[in-house]
Amino acid sequence: MNALTDGCAIVTGAGGGLGRALALALAPHMQVAGLGRRMAALEETEALAGGNFLPLMADVTDVVEVVQAFDTARNIAPITVLINNAAIYPRRDFLDESAASFMATVGINLGGVVTCTRAALSDMTATGFGRILNVATFADLHPLPASSAYSVSKGAARIFTRALIADIGDRFPGIVVNDWMPGMLATDMGIADGLEPAAAAKWGAKLALWHDPSLTGTTWEMAAEIPPARSLKRRIADRVLMRPRAKPRQL
Amino acid sequence: MGRPISEPLADIIARQWDVIVIGTGIGGGVAGRALAEAGHSVLFVEMGRAGLRAEQTGLDIGMADPVARSVRGLWPDPVRAEVNGMAQEFFAPLGSGLGGSSVFYAATLERPERHDLDDSPARPHPTGGWPVSFTAMQPWFDAATAMFALHGEPDPLSDIPHPALIAPPPPQPGDAMIMARLAQNGLNPYRLHTALRYLEGCAECLGHKCPRACKMDGRSAGVEPALATGRAHLLTDCAVTHLARDGARVTRVFAQKGGEAITLSARHIVLAAGALSSPRLLLASRSEADPGGIGNAGGLVGRNLMFHLNEIFALWPGRAAGFAGPSKSVGFRDLYFAENQRLGMVQAMGVDVGYGEIVHHLRGRVAGSWLRHIPGAMDATRIPAAVGAKLMGQAKVFVGLLEDLPYAENRVTHDPDHPARIAMSYRIAPELLARRKIFRRLIRRAFRGQRTAFLTHRPEPNFGHPCGTLAMGRDPAKSVLDASCRPHGIDNLWVTDASVFPTSMGVNPSLTIAANALRVAATLTEEK
Repeated sequence: MNALTDGCAIVTGAGGGLGRALALALAPHMQVAGLGRRMAALEETEALAGGNFLPLMADVTDVVEVVQAFDTARNIAPITVLINNAAIYPRRDFLDESAASFMATVGINLGGVVTCTRAALSDMTATGFGRILNVATFADLHPLPASSAYSVSKGAARIFTRALIADIGDRFPGIVVNDWMPGMLATDMGIADGLEPAAAAKWGAKLALWHDPSLTGTTWEMAAEIPPARSLKRRIADRVLMRPRAKPRQL
Repeated sequence: MGRPISEPLADIIARQWDVIVIGTGIGGGVAGRALAEAGHSVLFVEMGRAGLRAEQTGLDIGMADPVARSVRGLWPDPVRAEVNGMAQEFFAPLGSGLGGSSVFYAATLERPERHDLDDSPARPHPTGGWPVSFTAMQPWFDAATAMFALHGEPDPLSDIPHPALIAPPPPQPGDAMIMARLAQNGLNPYRLHTALRYLEGCAECLGHKCPRACKMDGRSAGVEPALATGRAHLLTDCAVTHLARDGARVTRVFAQKGGEAITLSARHIVLAAGALSSPRLLLASRSEADPGGIGNAGGLVGRNLMFHLNEIFALWPGRAAGFAGPSKSVGFRDLYFAENQRLGMVQAMGVDVGYGEIVHHLRGRVAGSWLRHIPGAMDATRIPAAVGAKLMGQAKVFVGLLEDLPYAENRVTHDPDHPARIAMSYRIAPELLARRKIFRRLIRRAFRGQRTAFLTHRPEPNFGHPCGTLAMGRDPAKSVLDASCRPHGIDNLWVTDASVFPTSMGVNPSLTIAANALRVAATLTEEK
């Protein structure tokens, strides 16, 4: 396997919003399999793609459904790209949450990422080659009111990215893993005057098809890399060593 | 190729194997391959994991969690060493997984000199000579050279032919420049003998696992071709604890597999757990007949432990040189035997000296000095290390391998309460320190006019090159093994790792381990 585009890309939540836009942006370059809970919505994405798109009905919280969907996809080509996009954002005050409703959100926003990542790694660790892009947010930094389950689950997903890299980053430098913040979008989950998902998806697809091991562990917002925060010690050390500041990359 | 497939455990246990090979490093891998290819049924027993073939894991001495270490094929636990009377605990550069330590190695397989094995009036051998002469070993060196696809140039100082050596690809600009610079100083550099097949897209996986069968190691040149014969099987996550003998034959191999004690049996046992573990297993094999362990009637099992001393130095070739990338493949033997002393060869470090290694090195120095009592001193090593890493980026790093000689008090020890732990006691001999002084002086002189700096200040045993702990010899009173690498008086137990070396030689041990494993496998096959 020499190119990501020789394999199959999986996009979760491909029945609408950013997930559909990402699938449409990838389909001209490679085979795409879109996961979603509603077949009708996935078929709409398929019609818009005009080829190279395989709709796979699967709930990312259901391990059996996910494993079956991945099996179907890898029958076409080995899975080289995974975009963990599926998420929900229920606006709900914590006093209106039950423990069960809260954990249901965690099950999708964190559990879905874990389930799909584990399934994709079966292919990627066999070849040592792949790309995992996690659609992320800053919601965990300053949780908004009526967003507790979303903030917690998306924040945990960001920790999962780092924990995954701690386990496989040194062993599989050819599996490139990072987080991408698409920005405020004009989707059901976003805001009315937000960015068109198709515009953001152009960046997301470009980033997902960029296979540079140095991307692992980086965070991107829209089209730009966000340089990691440097501690005071690190800033002093960099100054002492006259290390040039790395320029954030742009898509 | 994914995970190697093996038979169900019950079948493996029930079967009487022709040969059980304990350990899958160079010694076990090569012996097992030769035996399987000769028609024997072979069971490899490996303590660590099979791992995933596409992994590119490096040898990380900073990682401390035992689970994370075994997943990566690193020896899970720290070793205990009493060095010069001071107790230390540290992670040695040891592997524990399919291929053993060799999957991480820099793949430098250098042939020893004649005087490393043979006694002569001009160069008397400290033990009177190996029980197998250099001439007797030569065909096996050639066979191992071919098996490991060694690429390199013959040493210009040697008149012994090297027929199986393959010409290396053109040197990197950095290597070409450094060779010219060494030649200017009157030295005789050559391209090191490297076990890389240079397949298309070869990334020269020195210091980390190679994702393909391109770097030749215990896995790619040993176990995998053995499995391909269909006569070999692999049992991983299976730690041998001890052996039992019945008269002159070892009849049972006891092991732990998934928390269960299991017993395996074979007509022949090949012991290749490494020079720190093979003696440990024999010391643990106690019975009424062998109160000190199998092969230990003379009390020599585990003794005569040797390491090389690593003399690491940096050479700044100057700004104008414009070197890109580290020099990987250059060495010379001008100081190998000088001033009537056994010294050793000098090599460009196959592995980049990065920040991590420098931190470890500095920490070792702090831990061994009065500074260890100062809070924060260990963390403070990071700053000079970062500065050092910056400087090293522009310097070429070389290592001189100084031969160690056998001393009975240097040894692997066995603690019945912690039988799985690697423990040793080692003292740097005054005689070794004296040769070290000469070696360093000669290195300095060899680079006169160049900017150099020694990076090792205290003597640094290379804990990745242990040997000698089950030395072979002609005299049963002075050796553990006979010339066929069997304990004196035992018919079917064969040792094929660096334990068998009577002396440590002035080169990396891997080629000699592989050559000796081929020799032992041939003897075993003849006797079948």
